Parts: sequence; C-alpha cells; structure tokens
Amino acid sequence: MLKNQAGIRFYIFLAIFVFLVMFPFIWIFLTSLKPQNELTSFAWFTSNATLESYASAITTRPLFRYMLNSFVVSGLTTVLSLLIASFTAYAVTRLPIRGKTLILGLVLASSMFPPIAILSPIFNFVTDTGLRNSYIGLVIPYITISLPLAIWILATFFQKIPWELEESAKLDGATPFQTYRQIILPLATPGIFTTAILVFVAAWNEYLFALAINTADAWRTIPVGISFYQSEYTVPWGDISAATVIVTIPIVILVLIFQRRIVSGLTSGSVKE
Amino acid sequence: MAGKPGRKFQLNEKQLGYAMVAPALVLILLVVIWPIMLSGWNSLFDYRLNDPTKSERIMTESLNLEEYADNRYLVEQGVNELSEAYPEGEETFNETWTVVQNHHEELVAEDAMASSYQEVNSMLNDYEPITDDNLRIQSIDGSWGSDFEAAMDEQIEAVTAVQQQADGDTAVEIGYLAAQLENLQGSVLSSNFVGLQNYADYLLDGRTWTALTNTTFFTIVSVGAELIIGLGVALLINRTFKGRGIVRASVLVPWAIPTAVAAMMWSYLFDGQSGVVAHYMAAVGLISDPGALLTTASGSMFSIIFADVWKTTPYMALLLLAGLQTIPNTQYEAAEVDGAGRVQKFFFVTLPLLKSAILVALLFRTLDAFRVFDLIYVLTGGGPANATESISVFAYKALFEQQNFGAGSALSVIVFVCVAIISFIFVKLLGSDLFPERAKK
Repeated sequence: MLKNQAGIRFYIFLAIFVFLVMFPFIWIFLTSLKPQNELTSFAWFTSNATLESYASAITTRPLFRYMLNSFVVSGLTTVLSLLIASFTAYAVTRLPIRGKTLILGLVLASSMFPPIAILSPIFNFVTDTGLRNSYIGLVIPYITISLPLAIWILATFFQKIPWELEESAKLDGATPFQTYRQIILPLATPGIFTTAILVFVAAWNEYLFALAINTADAWRTIPVGISFYQSEYTVPWGDISAATVIVTIPIVILVLIFQRRIVSGLTSGSVKE
Repeated sequence: MAGKPGRKFQLNEKQLGYAMVAPALVLILLVVIWPIMLSGWNSLFDYRLNDPTKSERIMTESLNLEEYADNRYLVEQGVNELSEAYPEGEETFNETWTVVQNHHEELVAEDAMASSYQEVNSMLNDYEPITDDNLRIQSIDGSWGSDFEAAMDEQIEAVTAVQQQADGDTAVEIGYLAAQLENLQGSVLSSNFVGLQNYADYLLDGRTWTALTNTTFFTIVSVGAELIIGLGVALLINRTFKGRGIVRASVLVPWAIPTAVAAMMWSYLFDGQSGVVAHYMAAVGLISDPGALLTTASGSMFSIIFADVWKTTPYMALLLLAGLQTIPNTQYEAAEVDGAGRVQKFFFVTLPLLKSAILVALLFRTLDAFRVFDLIYVLTGGGPANATESISVFAYKALFEQQNFGAGSALSVIVFVCVAIISFIFVKLLGSDLFPERAKK
C-alpha cells in the first residue's frame, strides 16, 4: 500500500500539516513584535515592529531567573536520576538477579502514578524539612517522574548492546562492575545521552509540584512563572507572547540539534525491533 | 559466578545486581509508595492546614503539650500580675489558678506524662523548637480532657465577669488572661479521625461526579482524536520524502514545550477579544461569537481538547510511525499476492501488526490525559462554573486553595484508584507485550 515516491499532493498535505502545527508559534512570534495598541488586531504583520514587549517581559517579571531555576532543577534531576537509573537498568538487563519482572513492574507502575496522589505528603515533607522555595525541594518530587522514565528507556538501550563484548571482558577477568564501567557505559553513551534529553525535558515541563512547592517568585520555574504573567485584572498578551518566544527558542534549538536522538528515545519503549 | 579466589573483596554478579537496583528501589519506595500510603492515611482525617485545632492527625483525644506548657506559663504570669494590678479580682484569679493547678496535678500523676511534660517545658525554656510530634502530642485517657475543657469554660466565664467590672488598661489585660485560658483549653485536641467520611462526602457531591465525567470525556475524546489523526498522519508520512528533518522537528516542538506554556499560548489564541483562532472560527460560522470559546461550557471543553490534540497528536504520530516502520515489506507483498486491496492490507496486515504499538501508545496517553492538570488549570482554571474541571484540578483546589488536606487526599486517592483501574485494564489487554523481552527470561 505504500507508494514510495512522493507526489505534489503529498507535499501540499505536508505543508498544510506543518503549517497547522507551527501556526500558534508563528502567530505568537508575530504578536510579540506588535506595539501595544495593535495587540487586538488580526493583521498578520505589523508595520511598526518593536521590541517593547520583550523589554517589558523581562523587566516586569524575573524571566531569566525562572529560566535559571528551571535549568538548575532540571539539570540536577537529570544527573541524579540517570546515575541511579543506569545502575538499575544494567542490573535488570545484564545481571542474573531474581524478580526482574517485579522490579520493572514496580518501575512502570510508579511511572503511572498520578502526581496529585502524592502531592500533599511530599508538600508536607518539603515544608517540614524547610526545603520549600529551594532547588532540592523540587528535585525530590521530580525523582518520582524522572527515575521510572530513565530506567525504562535506559533498559531498552542496554538491551541492544551485544553480549559478545561482555563475554570477552569476563573471560579477560574483568569484575562485573568493571565490565559495567568500562564496556557497557561507553557503548551506552548515545542511549544515556538520549535518555538525559528526555528526562531533562520532562523535568523542565513539570507544573504541579513547582506550583505547589516553590511559591516565592524568585524560585518559580518557567512553566509556573509564565502562567503568572496574567494578573486578575489584566492579561498582558504582549509580554506573554514575548516571554513565550524567549523560553521556546532554547527548546527549538534543542529539538533541531537532537531530533534524531529524541525520536529514538521516545519510540524505544513502545516498539519492539 | 562466585568471585575468583585470591582476589580482594568483590561482589559476584548477583550481589552486584541487587546492590545496583537497591538505590532506585529505595527511592521509589520513599518518594512514591510511602507518599501514596500517607495520602490514604490523611484522607481518613478531617485534616486542615488552616485550622490550628485540625492541623494534626489525631486518632484519640490528645494534648498538645507545647501549647499546654506555653499557655500554662502565660496564665500563671497573668494571674500573678493581675492580682497586684487589680486587687478586686484577686480572689477570682487565684481560684482560676488553683483550678488549673488541680487539673495539672491530675495530669502529671501519670509518670509518662509527667516526664514528657518536663522535657517539653525545659525545651521551651531553652527556646528549642519541638519538632518531634511523638513528644509534642500526647494522647490522654479517660475524662481528663472533657473535665479540663468544662473547668476552663467556667474560669473563662468568671474572668470575663471580672473584666466587665474593670476598665481601661486593666480590662484589656484581663481580656488577655481570658484569651490565654482559651488557648490553654485549645491545647486539648479532640480526635479528627473521620474514617471514610471524606469519601462518602465526595461520592455524594455532584461536583466530584462532574469532575470525573469531565475527565473521562476529555480523555476519551482527545485520546481518540489523537489516535485517529496520528495514525492517519503516520500512514501518510511512512515513505521516503524530502524534508523529513523539518517535519520531524516541527512535530517535536509542540511535544517539547511545557504544557503550561502551550496553555498560555492557546488562551491568547482562543481569547474572545484578541484571539485569532476565536476570530476566524466565528468568521467561518463554527461558533456564534468569538467570546463563546472560553465563556461557555461546551466551548471551553472544546478548547481544551483542541489544545491537547494539537500538542499531542504529533507525538502519537511519531510513536505509530516507528511502529509502522518495523512492519516488513514482505508482509505487504505476500498480502498483495493473495489479492488484498489497500483497505484489506490496512485491516489485515497493518492493524494487527501495529496492535501492541497502538496499545502501548494508548496506555500512556490515556493515563496522561486522565491525570490532566496544567492544561486545564492554566487555560480555563476549571471554569466556567466547573464545566471543565478535571478530577486532578478539583483535588488541587481542595488541597491548596481550601487547605483541606484530609478531604483533598480523599480526592487524590480517588484519582489514584481510577488510574490503577485503567492501568490494570490495559495491562490485561497487553499482557507480556508491555515488557521488553529481557524481563521474560
């Protein structure tokens, strides 16, 4: 059923699809360049393009502080969960332990947990330990999201590494941990990197915990910070669209550079090859 | 597999394996399993953060020793000062103090209580914070609590009567004493264990069912639309063409941006005054006026589903495309030899071979959609009039806007149970397909 040559109709369909997907971004970008008095107009382009919305977006709210917060929290979460997940994934895929199905089942079950079900105890814990409005206070709950994800994807990547190399390392007298560190880890680097991107994006996008735990403006992350641009009385669409453009640019760059890796990571758990 | 003799301490493969899974298992127990159990426990209490008498979970009648010791000291001070400052009331004040003392002696007649009281008192004297709840909250037996409360009622009344005869600053001071007596009385905490009452309340509350219906409707419609559109797109782009990179990147950007940011973008595009999507939809006649999108119940639900479909269909298409690419061409060729047409090939080759990829994608998307929070919270806030409130949004509002941790926990446990049921159904359907090959060994 698959015709392998693509005709003109196909490319028109493709163009429409890409346009529809990208339309909100295009419109938001065009809005961010409009002066205040043209924000309610439906003209695509403005003849008085200005950067005043950008200036306002970064001065009325600490947008760069939000970005820094998101970056630190996501970075810490990624490093921590990958470190722990790579151990687990290795043990589950390569070592002769019992209860693998049980362990993977537990991991899968915890990735299905609704965050709202654990929010209030985590909130109490973070409050009692004085970690509200700090980076660590968010990293702890983010482990719940990132660790199962990382274990699941890494296990798929580890599984693909050929056994022969490991066998020969064993014959050469390497201890199991040496095999892990010197044979498996270097070979799994692309997979680990892919997993890191996915975990980072998941932590970067988290909203519920960040909203409840880091309530001080200086500790808000990007998603929460952006959603607080609107006040009860006014919605500064110019500022919001400029802020959206600023925070979307790093994501677009990340996606452009790593798109192949991201796709391989996203599809690794769902498709058996 | 044992370590070779002659080596120094080393783990064999099995031991290393268990050592390597241990940290992850411990973390999952601590940050996932333990909190959900605590949520279940909290949901059995009338537990509110904004009400001091209900800010602890108390099974049996208890005494907050910190409050008790603190206020007992303040009452003593008050009685001594006022006896000098207002001799007319001295008799009443002394009587009050005697009553407090008598009850206190009865309380500390029990050795365990006496030593706990000593400890708390000395910590208070050193200005040390008392963080140990097992020390701070002591359960009390018998009728001491109710006797004490009744006695305090009498004394508060007596002191207030004296206050009415005094005037000026003295009256204010006596008022303070009455307040301290009330605080002292408040250190007796009656049990706020309500059993399954929170669940009963919510299951009889129409708002819960509205939220559950909204969530289910949102989940079925948006995941259904995403699956159909995603499958269509995946089938169409499952071929070689120029510009794959651009398509892939444009498909990934909506997936990669935070849902809250996407929700902000759409709340602008759907806005009644300045929203371009609302404007064009009204112009084409899809909606009666641009404002209808975010101000009517059906318009808001449509907006949320639309935004979710926009954000997630590309991701769905990507997952299904990967599944399609694993179907070997020989399968299609064999079907062709047997005289299968396009439609037959789709139903008899593509769909069966794609089944597990579809089910896995559906499982994760359904669970994600059922837990929906950020999109609704940012885009409509659950409005208008709770018409788009999902069960997670409802639980969040109970927990953090009403500070009602007991009732809110009951709602979060309800969400958890629903998610568990959905997962169970999918896992039954998928069986071992869900687990990668390795786990089956």
